[in-house]
Amino acid sequence: MRRVTLRGLQGHLVRLLLTAAAVMLGVSFVTGTFVLRDSFDRALTGLVAGSTAGLDVSVRGTRIGGGDGTRAPVSLELVDTLSAVPGVARVTPDLQGVAIIAGSDGNAVRTNGAPGLGFAFADDDPAFKLIAGRGPTHADEVVVETVTLDKAGLGVGDRTRAVIGATTRPVTITGEVEFGVLFGATAVLVDQATAVREFAPDGTVASITIGAQPGVSQGELATAVADVLPDATEAVTGAAVNAEHESAVQQGLGYATTFLLVFAGVALFVGAFIIANTFTMLIGQRARELALLRALGASRNQVLGSVMGEAAVVGVVGSVLGMGLGILVAHGAKAAIRALLGVDIGSDLPVTSATLLISLAVGTLVTMVSAILPARRAARTAPVAAMRADTPIAQKGLRRRGTAGGVLLLVGAGVLGSSVARDDVPWVLAGIGSFVAVIGMLVGAPLFTRPVVRVVAWPFVVVSGVVARLARQNALRVPRRTAATASALMIGLALVAGISVLAQSVKASVTEGVSNELTSDFVLTVSGGVSTVPPTVAEDARTLAQAGSVAAVSLVPVTIGDFSTPAAAVEAGPISENFRISMSEGRLASLKDDHVLVDHSTAATQGWRVGDTLIATVGTLGKHELVIGAIYKDSQAFSSHVIVDRGLYEAAVPLGLRVDREIFITAAPGADQTELRAALLDIVRPYLVVSVQDKDEFAKAEGGAIDNLLNLLYVLLFFSVVIAVLGIVNTLALSVLERTREIGLLRAIGLQRRQLGAMITIEAIATAVFGAVLGTVLGLGLGVALQRGLESQGLNTLGIPWGLIVIMLMASVLVGVLAAVAPAIRSTRLVILGAINRV
Amino acid sequence: MMTSGTTTVRPPDESTESAGERDKIAARAIGLTKTYGDGQARVTALDHVDVEFASGRLTAIMGPSGSGKSTLMHCMAALDTPTAGRVIIDGVDITHLKDKALTRLRRDRLGFVFQAYNLIPTLTAHENITLPMDIAGANVESGWFDTVIDTLGIRDRLTHRPDELSGGQQQRVACARALLGRPAIVFADEPTGNLDSRASAEILSFLRASVDDFGQTIVMVTHDPSAASYADRVIFLVDGRIVHDIADPTMPVVLAYIQELDQPRVEV
Repeated sequence: MRRVTLRGLQGHLVRLLLTAAAVMLGVSFVTGTFVLRDSFDRALTGLVAGSTAGLDVSVRGTRIGGGDGTRAPVSLELVDTLSAVPGVARVTPDLQGVAIIAGSDGNAVRTNGAPGLGFAFADDDPAFKLIAGRGPTHADEVVVETVTLDKAGLGVGDRTRAVIGATTRPVTITGEVEFGVLFGATAVLVDQATAVREFAPDGTVASITIGAQPGVSQGELATAVADVLPDATEAVTGAAVNAEHESAVQQGLGYATTFLLVFAGVALFVGAFIIANTFTMLIGQRARELALLRALGASRNQVLGSVMGEAAVVGVVGSVLGMGLGILVAHGAKAAIRALLGVDIGSDLPVTSATLLISLAVGTLVTMVSAILPARRAARTAPVAAMRADTPIAQKGLRRRGTAGGVLLLVGAGVLGSSVARDDVPWVLAGIGSFVAVIGMLVGAPLFTRPVVRVVAWPFVVVSGVVARLARQNALRVPRRTAATASALMIGLALVAGISVLAQSVKASVTEGVSNELTSDFVLTVSGGVSTVPPTVAEDARTLAQAGSVAAVSLVPVTIGDFSTPAAAVEAGPISENFRISMSEGRLASLKDDHVLVDHSTAATQGWRVGDTLIATVGTLGKHELVIGAIYKDSQAFSSHVIVDRGLYEAAVPLGLRVDREIFITAAPGADQTELRAALLDIVRPYLVVSVQDKDEFAKAEGGAIDNLLNLLYVLLFFSVVIAVLGIVNTLALSVLERTREIGLLRAIGLQRRQLGAMITIEAIATAVFGAVLGTVLGLGLGVALQRGLESQGLNTLGIPWGLIVIMLMASVLVGVLAAVAPAIRSTRLVILGAINRV
Repeated sequence: MMTSGTTTVRPPDESTESAGERDKIAARAIGLTKTYGDGQARVTALDHVDVEFASGRLTAIMGPSGSGKSTLMHCMAALDTPTAGRVIIDGVDITHLKDKALTRLRRDRLGFVFQAYNLIPTLTAHENITLPMDIAGANVESGWFDTVIDTLGIRDRLTHRPDELSGGQQQRVACARALLGRPAIVFADEPTGNLDSRASAEILSFLRASVDDFGQTIVMVTHDPSAASYADRVIFLVDGRIVHDIADPTMPVVLAYIQELDQPRVEV
C-alpha cells in the first residue's frame, strides 16, 4: 500500500503542492509569530538588563491602597540618609520626566505614540554610554541618545530648542549617548540640577537607585537600607526589579503573541477547508482506482491509511515550506518595523527548535485532520464501483444542511447579540457566538450557491451568452464544492467586514458624540497618547482676551475596591461652558471637593447611587472618602468614567507630575475665531508637541485613532485572502481535469480557446464573488449585532463602510480572474483528441 | 499485399459512381500521412492516403484495430494535424489553418457524433443540441430544428439532462446536435459502439435517412459490419493504407472482406 501512496503523490504532484501551499501560508504565520516573539523577548530582556545595570537595590514607595495602586513618591531628602548606610557605593535618584528636542526642521522629534524621555546625566551612570562630546553642565545643554539625534538630523555642537519638563528653552547639544533598545522612544539627558528642577519640582521621585560596594550582596544591602527607610517606602534588590520588569515584558508579549496567533489560527482554519476540498476532489476522481484496490483485496483501513499517508506527506512538506516562509516573513516584519517605527528589535532573529517543532506539528496535524473526512469517504468506496463506467457524485439534498446552517447562524448571532448587550460583556461567549455563526454560514453556504451564483453570472450571461451559461452551470454543478472553495474567501472577508463595521461605528459614534457634546471652539492637545500638555499652557491661554472659557482636563488614577480607572480632573464651571454633559441623576454643579461624578454605565455595573460614600485611592491619597455627587450619561467627548474636582486632583498629585491631557477653549462673546486661533498657536509654539484643533478637527482625530489598528488587521487578513486564491486555483485545476472530456468536446464542436478561457474565468469569478458576498453579508451581520449590543455603552451610531464593501466585491472579481489564469491556460492547451478519448 | 483482386485503391479522379454526373466532393485527402514517435518507436498510422468523400453520401471506414481508420477520420475532421499531405474540406485547404480558423471550421462546417455521446452533463438535451449554434452566436432555424428532433423522436426529451436519458436517447441528441448546423460533413466515430442492437439500428436508420432525405454527407468509422451495410460505400484500411473500396456494400460482402483480412498475411 505504501507504493500506492507514493504513486498517488507522484500522480497528483502539482495539486498536492498547491494544497501544501495552503498549509505553508498558515504555518508561516505560526513560525513568523514565534520568531518575532522570541526576538522581541530577547531585545526586551536585554533592555531590562541594560536599564537596571548598576542597580543593586531600588528604593521606592509602597503601593497606595495596596494591590495595583500607584506607588507613593520618594523624597529626594532620602538620598543623604541612604549614602550614609554602610555598603552603599552610589546613590542616584531616578530623575525622569518628559524631554523632547526639535529636529533640524524645527519640528519635535518623536515617534508616533512613543514617549519622549528625559533623564539626568551622570558620568558614572552605567545605564548609558557617552560616545561623543561631553555631558551637560547647565540648563542650556543637553546630551541626546544616538538614534534620537539621527532622527533629529542634528549633531553634537548643534543648537536647537527642547521641551524639558514644563519649560521650553534653546539648548546646545554637547554629547551623544548610546542606550539599549528604546522601542521608538526618544531620550534626552540634562544635568542633575536641571533634572531636579524640572523632573522633581516638589522634591520627590519615583525611586532611588543604589549601587553596592564590592563584596556586598544585593540582599545584604537591601536589608541594611530597609532599616533606615521611612514609612511607605521599600527596598528591593536589583534582581527582584529585573524579574518584575521581565514578567511585565512577558505579559505584554503574551498579548501580542495571542493576537498574532489568532490570525495564524484563521489562516490555518481557512487552509483546512482547502485541504479537505482538495482531498475530496482527488478522491472523487480516483474513486474507480480506489474501488479497484478494494476489489483486489485492500482493506478499508489500508485505503484510509493510504490517503492519510498522502495527507501526512503534504502536511510535512507544507509545514517545512511554511517554516522557511515564516522566517522570511519575520525578517520582513523586522525591516518594516524598523522602516515605519524606527524601532530596531535586535540584530538577529532567533529560530528555536520549539518554534520549528510547534510549526511542524501544527501544520501536519491540521492537514491530517482536514483529510480525515475525505479519507473515510475513500475507505467506504464499494468495490463494485470499479465496474461502473462513471461514478457520479452523490448529490444529497441541501435542504437539511441549509436548515442546520441557518439554525447555527441564528443561534450564533443570538448568543453574540445577547452577550454584548450585557453591561459587563462576556467576551468569550461573544467570541463563541461569532464562531458558531461563521460555522453556520459555512454549513449553510451550499444552499445559497444557486441564487447567488445566478445573480453574479447574470451580467456575463447577458454579454457573452452560452460561454457564461456553461460557466454558471459548472459553478452550480456541485454546490458543496463551490461553497467549500469559496469558504476561504468568505471567512477572510467576513472578518474584514465585521471588523470594519465595528471600527466604522466606533468612528461614527465618537465623531458624532464629540461634535454633539463639545461646545468649545478649540482644543489644545498632544498628538499621540503618551505625552501631555504642560500646565503653563492653560495658564497662558487664560490670559487671552479672546478666550471666554478655558477648561483644562487632567487625569488621575482612582481605585475603588477592584475598580480602577483614570479619572478626569476638571472644574465644574469651565467644563460646563465647554461641554454639553447630560446628567441622568443629580447636577453637574455638585462636583466639588470629595464629591465626584460617575457615568451611567459604570454606576450601573458597580451598583453605585447618588449619595453613596466610597473608600478610594486617588493619586497619592490612600483611603480617601469619595461621595457620588451625580451620575452623567455616557459620553464620547468625555471618555472618562469618573470625574473629580480640580481641588481634589491638586491634593492628590504632586506639583511636578501635574500635566494636562487636553485644554478646551471657548471664545469670548464677540471674539474673532481666527484671532483666537492665531493667539493660541503663539502660545503653543514653544512647546513643540502641542497642537491647536478646532471642534471638527478634534472630533475627526478622536475617531481616526482607530485607523492605524485597522490597517494592521487588514494586512494580517490579507494572508487569508491569498490562501483563498490558492484554494480557488486548486479547485479549478482539479475540476478542469475532471471535465477534460467535456472540454475536448466543446473544442471539437467549435469553442475557441479564448472562449474556453473566458468560461473558466467566469466560473472562477462566480465562485469568488459568491464567497465575497456571503462573507460580506456575514461580516455585516456580525458587525451590526456587535454594534446593536454595544449601543448602551456609547456605540450608538451604526457605521457601514460602504466604500470598503464595494472595494471588497470588486477585488473578489480580481481574485477570480487571478485564480483562473493557470487553470485556463492549462485547459486551452489540452489536445482535443486526447481529451475526447479519455475515459 | 493485396490478397483480393476485387477492388483496388481508387485514385480520387477515378470515381466509379454510377450516377451520370460527377458528384460534388465534400472532403478530400491528398497524400495524407500521419506518423507518431521517432526512430525505432516510429509508427505510421496513415501512409500516403488519397481519398475523397462525395457529398450526400454515407461512407463507412472499416479496418482492424490500429489500421489508422480513426486517425484518418480525425485528420479529415480537423481534430488532428497530419504529418504530411493535404486535407481539403468543403473546398477549403485546411492543412495550414491556425487553431482559431480550424475551430471556426469545425463549428460552422462540421458535425460530430462520438462513441461516448459526449454531451455536456449540465445542459438539457435542447441546450446540448443548440450548443454549437449558441457558441457561434447563430440563430437556430426553428423549422429545421423541429424537423430534426421530430425525425429523431426526441421532442419529449428536450428538457431532460443527459443523465436522465438512455444511451440510445443520448446518441440521438448527439446526432441532432451534429445535424442542426447543416454541416458540410458529419463525422461519426463508432456511433453505435456503446449501444445495443436495437438502439444501434435506430441510429443507423436515422443517419441513412438524413443522407437520403436531407442530402447530408456523413463519414462514419465503424467496426460493425451491420453498421457498414447502411453505407453507400465502405473503405477498408490496413496498416494506414486503403486496401478495399466497396460501393453499395451488403452485410455478407462486408463480412467476407473482414474474414479475408483476418487471414494471416504472409507478405508485408
